[in-house]
Amino acid sequence: MSSTEESAAAPMVELTHVTKTFHRGAETLTVLDGLSLSIAEGSFEALMGPSGSGKSTLLNLVAGLDRATSGKVRVAGQDLTAMTDGDLAAFRARYIGFIFQSYNLMPVLTALENVELPLLLTKLPSADRKRRAATALRVVGLEDRADHYPRQLSGGQEQRVAIARALVNDPKIIVADEPTGDLDRKSADQILALLEKLNKDFKKTVVMVTHDPEAASHARVTHHLNKGAFQ
Amino acid sequence: MNLASLATRNVGRNRFRTALTLLGVAVAVVAFVMLRTVISSMEVAVTHAAHDRIGIRHKVSFVMQLPRRYIDTVRQTPGVHSATWANWFGGKDPRNPREFFPTLAVDPASFLEVYDEVAVSPADRERWLADRQGAIVGDQLARLLRLRVGDTITLSGTIYPGNWVFHVSGIYTATRRSMDRSEFLFHWDYLNNALPERRRDQIGWIIARVDDPSRASGVSAAIDRTFDVQDIQTLSMSERSMNLSFMGMMSGLLAAINAISGIILLILLMLFGNTMSMGVRERTQEYGVLRALGFLPKHIAGFILGEAAALGLAAGVLGLALSYPLVQYGLGRWLEENMGSMVPYFRIETSTAAQALGFSLLLGVASALIPAVRASRLTVTDALRRID
Repeated sequence: MSSTEESAAAPMVELTHVTKTFHRGAETLTVLDGLSLSIAEGSFEALMGPSGSGKSTLLNLVAGLDRATSGKVRVAGQDLTAMTDGDLAAFRARYIGFIFQSYNLMPVLTALENVELPLLLTKLPSADRKRRAATALRVVGLEDRADHYPRQLSGGQEQRVAIARALVNDPKIIVADEPTGDLDRKSADQILALLEKLNKDFKKTVVMVTHDPEAASHARVTHHLNKGAFQ
Repeated sequence: MNLASLATRNVGRNRFRTALTLLGVAVAVVAFVMLRTVISSMEVAVTHAAHDRIGIRHKVSFVMQLPRRYIDTVRQTPGVHSATWANWFGGKDPRNPREFFPTLAVDPASFLEVYDEVAVSPADRERWLADRQGAIVGDQLARLLRLRVGDTITLSGTIYPGNWVFHVSGIYTATRRSMDRSEFLFHWDYLNNALPERRRDQIGWIIARVDDPSRASGVSAAIDRTFDVQDIQTLSMSERSMNLSFMGMMSGLLAAINAISGIILLILLMLFGNTMSMGVRERTQEYGVLRALGFLPKHIAGFILGEAAALGLAAGVLGLALSYPLVQYGLGRWLEENMGSMVPYFRIETSTAAQALGFSLLLGVASALIPAVRASRLTVTDALRRID
């Protein structure tokens, strides 16, 4: 289904005629082809599509991880196309919370330290950082695992720590790239319930890439991509 | 947790690899410390040369001798406090033919005045002065040859052929490093009187103490000027320069040791480089995650260089911790006891320890420069390997 759902809220994400091309030797590969998209603040939207359809590339543009070749990308009121690399890094630290498929926790850090990681870029004192990280862990129900290392946690618990890390700097948007891809059904359902909670209770805008129709069903809006365009 | 502690956490990540690297680098540090200590122990005579002593030798070569009467002229030169002389005897102990030790014919009274760092008991001193066949022996040499006061020893002369009988009058030590504690010192008169008439009254070199060390070069020049009109001219120089000219004979060996030290540093660099490159390559995705969270390229470079610095420092400390028991108290003791004439003070200098630690730290960081620059230059998406 292509998104046409209207919302009264101001758009949190606004892409206008966005094109993204990659060069592989002499070959130019167009991954996103003049794509436009608007995601309202407080929405929970899913991006689906086959491999190579451009859904992760689109997510990267929304998250400020990559730049569009042409077109305009506005997120949280910021024009990402005009930003320097340093500005983009600051934007990500301030506005974006990331959740990855393979959790991507630092194995040498405890759960609490992993959650605290994004706060190292702030000027918060150590005690405040720890308090906020502990609060985020409580939100995902893992306060009793604060001193555990990732190898001591199950996959579902690792992903919940990753969600706490995404949440700790109070971002406007949560971007989740296949957040349930490595999990069993039960753990996946817990993660999806948690994302819904973040959306509903914490008013976070959630943009999720998934292959899983069951996961997509938790989103209010689902966008289908194929060959760089919405179907 | 802070940015610095985050950087060092990765050191213990792959414990087996880190342990191997630490051990490998530590062994290299031990080898480096050992070689540098060999050099510093050989240079000790230069480093610790007395500032108020000058050596006077034949202008052409060390091996050519001076007339005995020159000592009186030197003593009369303004600025000279006292003077003595010595001949290289080149004696060997037939019981220990493999042992090399300096045997010098000296004038005992003036020698002890000029070399006031020679510590010998009053009784030994009196015994030596009174006995023309008497000799004093450095404590290191005495241990090596198992000599005690009162012993009689026969040395065979290499420069002055024949068997020469000596009585061990005393054992000396030294209050400063400028004196070798493995020498065999005996009466010049004993040698001189035994020589045929044509070889008598020839001395190897003169050593003079000056009143004012800051005027040593002026006194040296004055002495040489005095003998310029004689049939045998002299070359005078500070004790340090004189020792340096001895060192020059071993320049090939020192150059080889320096070259090996350089190779060891290169090995250090490669060991670190291999470990850091592997670690950084394995963690590329994590650096991508950090970049995604808002960390900047300089943070990534800082994490990698911080980890390398921690590894380098740890390896350096471990290497030094191994060096002291192995080099200073193991090999060093053996060398001092068995090769005391060449390496009388085999001790790890503070500067050598600092060099080893500094090189370990610097090379650790240097080895990580390229991986750090590469990792920090990766785009976030490349680091995350997400381009589909």
